[in-house]
Amino acid sequence: MNARLLALLPAAIAINLVIGGLVNALGLPLYLDSIGTILAAVLAGPAVGMLAGGIGQVLFGLINGYQWIPFGLVQLLIAALAGLAASRAGFRLPSSSLAWGLLTGLLAGALSSVLSYVLFKGVTATGTTAVVTLLRQVGWSLPVAVTASSLLLDLVDKSAAFLLVGALVRALPLRMMGRFPRAARAVGR
Amino acid sequence: MTLAPGALAARAHPFTPLVVTAAIAVAALAVPGPGPALALYALTLVLVVTTGTGQAALRALVPLAPLWFFLFLLHGVLGEGGRVTVEGISLSRDGLALATTQAARLGAIATASLAMYAGFSPSRFVDAVAEREWSFSVAYLVVATLLALPRFRARAAVILEAQRSRGLRLRGSPLSRIRALGPITFPLLLGALAEVDERGFALETRCAAGSARRTALAPPLDTTADRLVRWLAAGAGMAAVAWRVVG
Amino acid sequence: MTALAFDEAGFTYPGAAAPALAQCTFAAEAGAITWLTGPLGAGTSTALLLAAGLAPRHTGGHRSGAVRTLGVDPAEPGAPAILGGRVALVLSSPAAQLSGIAETVAQEVAFAPANLGWPRERIHSAVDRAMEALGIAHLAARDPSTLSGGEMQRVVLAAMLVLRPALWLLDEPTSALDSAGRALLHDILRSEAARGAAVVVASEDADGLYAVADRLVVLSGGCAVLDGAPQDLLRGDAVWDAGVGSTTIGTLARVAGVDAPRPLTVDEGVARWTR
Repeated sequence: MNARLLALLPAAIAINLVIGGLVNALGLPLYLDSIGTILAAVLAGPAVGMLAGGIGQVLFGLINGYQWIPFGLVQLLIAALAGLAASRAGFRLPSSSLAWGLLTGLLAGALSSVLSYVLFKGVTATGTTAVVTLLRQVGWSLPVAVTASSLLLDLVDKSAAFLLVGALVRALPLRMMGRFPRAARAVGR
Repeated sequence: MTLAPGALAARAHPFTPLVVTAAIAVAALAVPGPGPALALYALTLVLVVTTGTGQAALRALVPLAPLWFFLFLLHGVLGEGGRVTVEGISLSRDGLALATTQAARLGAIATASLAMYAGFSPSRFVDAVAEREWSFSVAYLVVATLLALPRFRARAAVILEAQRSRGLRLRGSPLSRIRALGPITFPLLLGALAEVDERGFALETRCAAGSARRTALAPPLDTTADRLVRWLAAGAGMAAVAWRVVG
Repeated sequence: MTALAFDEAGFTYPGAAAPALAQCTFAAEAGAITWLTGPLGAGTSTALLLAAGLAPRHTGGHRSGAVRTLGVDPAEPGAPAILGGRVALVLSSPAAQLSGIAETVAQEVAFAPANLGWPRERIHSAVDRAMEALGIAHLAARDPSTLSGGEMQRVVLAAMLVLRPALWLLDEPTSALDSAGRALLHDILRSEAARGAAVVVASEDADGLYAVADRLVVLSGGCAVLDGAPQDLLRGDAVWDAGVGSTTIGTLARVAGVDAPRPLTVDEGVARWTR
């Protein structure tokens, strides 16, 4: 742990927890609660991204209810995938960012729905629960309904997150890019 | 939520509410059936009120209410198993039991968490960690993040207002809303990164990541009562787990 | 005693086309106030970061030549342990320099001493003294994030003063301060130098520093092109050739066609023009 990380991590975590409120104003079906995790992974590596995502989720749970803490595993997964994408210049173009975002959404959504079902029989976030209720009405079984709703929302959310982070890093001023050498690699420079 | 200075939650050693809340969370997940879960929720409410954080019980209802509604809908109305009719609505008996258990579990966890957060004092927490010579870095990260939240929220609100006054449309076609994502998130993200740079310099110069043992500026009192409560809470949590495993 | 020495030092930021510093040679002595200035992009901020050991450790990049801070190479892995608490760095924007965990100004000022493990009593008395010196004792219980820019900068200065550092590095420290704050800062820098600390200030504030600084070093294109007594240099043409100006009166005099050596203050100007 060095001073630079002590400065970066609280900012990345705060971004995770605050950006959702900002995006809410647009009324889009997005959480973007992993932007900080993805950014930290791209700038400082997957391990740092995992720290940001993991600690962030614990704090989120502290504030909003411990039932959220297990979903920290999803943040760890997202950090790992974002770090992988960054090491392969996955953010060089919007199209590549989108591809990595979809992959992450798929895997994160799968993990989310498993956690959701195992821990709470499908009831945590009001958004997903509403979709689940709808699907149950139509006759889908609970596990399938939970999985489908989780997957759909995560695909959209993670794609948007990857696209945003990609655009941001590509637009970083040169001097800032120099402070974070991994970022340059992430956009293929 | 501001606490009265004499409130138990404010006077307790910082680790005590943390352990108690963790114990409640563990117990909430472990207790079987609607009866024990409701008893735990009731106990949590009593604890919260007696320690001076009673407002947390009400605040918790905000996220809990919709969750309870959906639980009732999902398991009570649409659940499987033997039916019972109440006021002409067919409800699942097993589903109601499950919904009640889950609702009580979530109620206990959410209420305890909010109460603990309300009584959390950043500086007392850092001093408590320093007193025990545990990792300052971890304490720093937790506290710095918690204190950064209102700052970031305020900055986000300013950015939103600024962009809105520049003509950015926040409602409208889905495409225009998606296009607005960049202008409202980028300033916050870029500003945060610039600050990370300078703060990193400042923290290094002020030896935040140094190897010396941090001094506790005003070490909080750790009374016998505090220690007793922590041991009791931990014991109760483990007992709940044992009950679940054995029963 | 030489507190800071640059010897043919060069530095290039990662991904940059041109070096920020090249063959830069100058020294700052203990007990003296060294004023660093230069046109935009001259490398003054970079020089301070190198002196503090933050470049290349935090910034990445490549350093050539030699830098010695309080007798050690600040880029060496063991340097932070030796220099910790002995080098103060003050940048221009106060909000980003706050610790991020202090709920009161007193806690903020106590941040570095507490990190260094000072005994509690020593911290409390040192914090009280530092807050008195910066005129912020009345703010001791305030939340640092609610302060004005000027008050915040005073808190940052107090947080460094509390350490009684051997070397002060300041980068445009007065931009957030009002004139009273600026005067206070100059008083503190003078008393710190009198105590034996070395003070290095990177600033464009000629009016403020011409009388306070003992030595003026002008950087241009990454190397030191002028090095001497501020009053002498500011009266001449060399500072103008180097892309730096003079005091307000000195500038006025040059524009008015007065030859070097030019007056630097109102009094000198009046004396010169009412002869």
